[in-house]
Amino acid sequence: MGSGFYFERQRKGAQLATMIVASECDVANEVICAPADVNELFEFPTIFTIGNFEVTRTEILMIFAAIVVLALLYFGLRQQRLVPSKFGVAVEGIVGFVRDGIGRDVIGPESTKYLPYLLAMFTFLLVGNLFEITPLINFPITSRMAIPAFLSLVTYWIFMILGFSRNHFRYLIDTAWPKTVPIGLRWLVGLIELVSVFLLRPLTLAVRLFANMVAGHLMLTLLLTSGVIFVAAIPDIGAKGAVGFFWFGLGLFMFLLEVLVAVLQAYIFTLLTAIYIESSIHFEH
Amino acid sequence: MEGNIEAITGALALIGYGLGAIGPGIGIGIVAGNAITAMARQPEMQGTIRTTMFLGIALTEALALIGFVLFFIASAG
Repeated sequence: MGSGFYFERQRKGAQLATMIVASECDVANEVICAPADVNELFEFPTIFTIGNFEVTRTEILMIFAAIVVLALLYFGLRQQRLVPSKFGVAVEGIVGFVRDGIGRDVIGPESTKYLPYLLAMFTFLLVGNLFEITPLINFPITSRMAIPAFLSLVTYWIFMILGFSRNHFRYLIDTAWPKTVPIGLRWLVGLIELVSVFLLRPLTLAVRLFANMVAGHLMLTLLLTSGVIFVAAIPDIGAKGAVGFFWFGLGLFMFLLEVLVAVLQAYIFTLLTAIYIESSIHFEH
Repeated sequence: MEGNIEAITGALALIGYGLGAIGPGIGIGIVAGNAITAMARQPEMQGTIRTTMFLGIALTEALALIGFVLFFIASAG
C-alpha cells in the first residue's frame, strides 16, 4: 500500500536483509519495476533518537566509514618497517597517490600543509562511495546531499580564507575586473569569473558527487531488484519472466562500472579541492 | 479540452534536463579528446595535462549539473 516499497527484513537466510524490493511491482504487465517514489530509496526510518538528533542508517554508516578510514590508516601505517607488509604497501600506495598525484602535482611544494585534509577527504569519500557496492550495505552515503554539501562547504571555506589572506581584497577585485583581459570583454569575463568562483564552485563540487552516486544507486537498485523479481515470478508468468536474466546481467555489468565511478568521483572531488586551493594560493596566474 | 500543465511538470523538467545535457556532453567530449591528443604528443606532460583536463571538464560539466539541480527544483515545485 502507498509507498510500494518495504524493507525486507529477516527473510530466511537474510541475504536480502538490507536490499529494498519493489513489493507491488506488477510483473505481468510492467517490463521494468519503477519505484513509486524515488525518495524511499534514500530516506531511512529513524532508528533511535538522541535529544533532537534523529539517528538513521545513513548516519550510522557515516560513522562506520570514518572508523574504517581510521582503522585502515592506523593498521596500515602503524609499524614503519624496512620491508612493509602487503597491507602496509597498499595503504602507503593510497597515501603516496594523494601526496604525489594530487598534492605535489597540483599545489606544489606547499602541499604538505594541506595533505592531511586531502588524504582524509579522499579516503573518506572512497570508503563512502564504495559502500554503494559493498554487500549488505549497498548504500552510498554520499548520495545524501548533506555529506557532499558539507565537504564542499569546508573546501569553499578553506580556499576563500586562503584567497583573502594571501591576496587581501585583491582576490575579489581582480576576479571581478581581470587586468589581463582586453577592456571590451573585461566586464563579461569578470562577471563569469565572479559567478563561477564564488557561487558555482561549491555548488558543482557537491552536486557532481551527489548526482553520480544517486544515479548509480538508482540504476543498481532498479536493475538488480527487477531481475530478482522477474526471475522469482517465472512460475507465475511463464517465459516472459526470462527478461529478468537480462536485467540482472545488465545490473552486474553496472555493478562493475560503479566501482570505477566510485573511485573516480572520490579522486575528482579531491583533485578539484586541490585545484581550488592552488588557484587561491597562486592567484596571479 | 483545457490542458493541465501541472500534470506534466515533471516530464517537462526531465526534457529540459535532457536538452541541457547536450551541450556539456559535446563539450566534455572535445576536452577529453584534445587532452588525449596532447598526451599522445607529449607523454612527459601527462600529469599537467590530466590536471588541466579535469579542470576543463569540471567547468564544462557545471552546466549539466546546474541543469540537474534545476530539474529537481522544477519537478518539485
